[in-house]
Amino acid sequence: MAPSLAVLALITLLPALYLLATSFTQLSLTRPETQWDFSQPLESYRQLLSDSRLHNSVWVQIKLSFWTVLLQLLIGLLLALLLNMRSRLIEALRTVFLIPMVLPPIVVAIIWKVIYTPDISPMHGIFRSVGWNVPALITDPNWALTSIIIADTWEWFPFTMLMVLAALQMMPQELLDAAKVDGASPWQLTRHITLPFIRGVLLVAGLFRLIDSIKAFPLIFILTDGGPGNLTEVTNYYSYLQAFNFSFLGFSSAITVALLAATIALSWLIVRLVGWGSRVD
Amino acid sequence: MQTLAVVLALLALAPFLWLLLMSFKTNAEIFRFPPRLLFDATLANYAALWTSEFRNSFGNSLIVSVASTVLSLVIGVPAAYALSRWTGRGGGTITLWILASRMAPPIAFTIPYFLVYRHLELLDTLTGLIVIYLTFNLSLVIWMMRPFYDQLPRSLEEAAWIDGATMWQGFYRIILPLSGPGLAATAILCFLFAWNDFFFALILTRTEAMTAPVAVVNFMNYEGWEWGRIAAGGTMIMLPVLVFSFVVRRYLVHGLTGGALKG
Repeated sequence: MAPSLAVLALITLLPALYLLATSFTQLSLTRPETQWDFSQPLESYRQLLSDSRLHNSVWVQIKLSFWTVLLQLLIGLLLALLLNMRSRLIEALRTVFLIPMVLPPIVVAIIWKVIYTPDISPMHGIFRSVGWNVPALITDPNWALTSIIIADTWEWFPFTMLMVLAALQMMPQELLDAAKVDGASPWQLTRHITLPFIRGVLLVAGLFRLIDSIKAFPLIFILTDGGPGNLTEVTNYYSYLQAFNFSFLGFSSAITVALLAATIALSWLIVRLVGWGSRVD
Repeated sequence: MQTLAVVLALLALAPFLWLLLMSFKTNAEIFRFPPRLLFDATLANYAALWTSEFRNSFGNSLIVSVASTVLSLVIGVPAAYALSRWTGRGGGTITLWILASRMAPPIAFTIPYFLVYRHLELLDTLTGLIVIYLTFNLSLVIWMMRPFYDQLPRSLEEAAWIDGATMWQGFYRIILPLSGPGLAATAILCFLFAWNDFFFALILTRTEAMTAPVAVVNFMNYEGWEWGRIAAGGTMIMLPVLVFSFVVRRYLVHGLTGGALKG
């Protein structure tokens, strides 16, 4: 059964090494001789430190990750608490709430493009009919990043909701019953029993969303293209531009290696938290 | 409480329903506000799509997703079983490796694959896409199926070995038939992840192997803003996704987090 793992190594580890090797060159597709030119191995990394557009992208990334993860955890948690009861209607609603998450990302992006395009947007239609003059949010410097955050939160709040609901269903009923007998109010139950019980799940859900937020692409590609200016240009998007618009694959590889390192570190944290690998049979 | 939940659900779904309705509207109807609740629905947008190149892209998406799913299962299921029975050291490292492959930003694989594909002439081919989709789907299979096999008692295949079966026979005759439901859910999730991909297809295809998500985006860039066709294309892309997601909704947590939570 080793062959299967060998295939996995061939298609994942080998490319990762190739990426690392490329990051030590200054490969530019317009200059073929730069491939495998390791004469200045750390030049791309030196550029990482001095490129202010990259630093801006990291800052945008931090803002995007912070707000989307926070809002998704909050909304997902509240909805899960609301939907945590046994009734046929609520169970059907749970499935309905999953729709944004399972939609193809590109469809999510199209949906929000429609909402953010004043000519055809029902949202702008409503604004107009009550007399508000609202600019096109995705081209407005004050609103561009917020509009991405809203769309991303809409897409992924079901993820937290789903994980918290699954955890709530494993909650020992005796604990709640005992507290109820002692006269605890619904708020006290939530605050002192439910929340501590799902804290771990929230943390894992948050970490998964955090890693995913580093990959943000289709929404930005369709809605703002990184603009206006560089206001919504996250690091992943900047790396894409460097590689496939400007053809600087060496530099882009260095950025991507840094992103990959962050991903692996966060994944390691998840593995530790969940306790995989230290399983006792 | 229930009323609140219903209202919130409608609110959350409104953007999605709007796109769905848009796909049946004429251009004049799309620009009308307030919208008419009862408009003359038209299938013209779908008809226009089906006679355009979009049909090829839709076919490409189907071929690539199915092929990548089948390959991932054939390679990944034995690996999941082997890892489940693994008693040696390094289990944690392998877990991290599989999780990281699943979570890595697509561009991390796109750059090396792009460079290699240029030489192998695999750019803009279905084969190229099928192979790169293995990077995430193979990990997904291993990570969906391993916890499943962890729960199967070892005595099952050991009994078969005592009766003279080889390791592979034990796997194919005893273990695999027991994997039915887990396999089905895993297969569907693999299909969905391949089907939903946008980034890899955007970079690695041009015209021949273009998939449906990239084709829809091209409506925006090159042919002016044809909202009706864009909406119809989006609807066609999401239709199989919605159907399949409904079937595997109980496995979604598991598939997205790799059993970080047993739910």
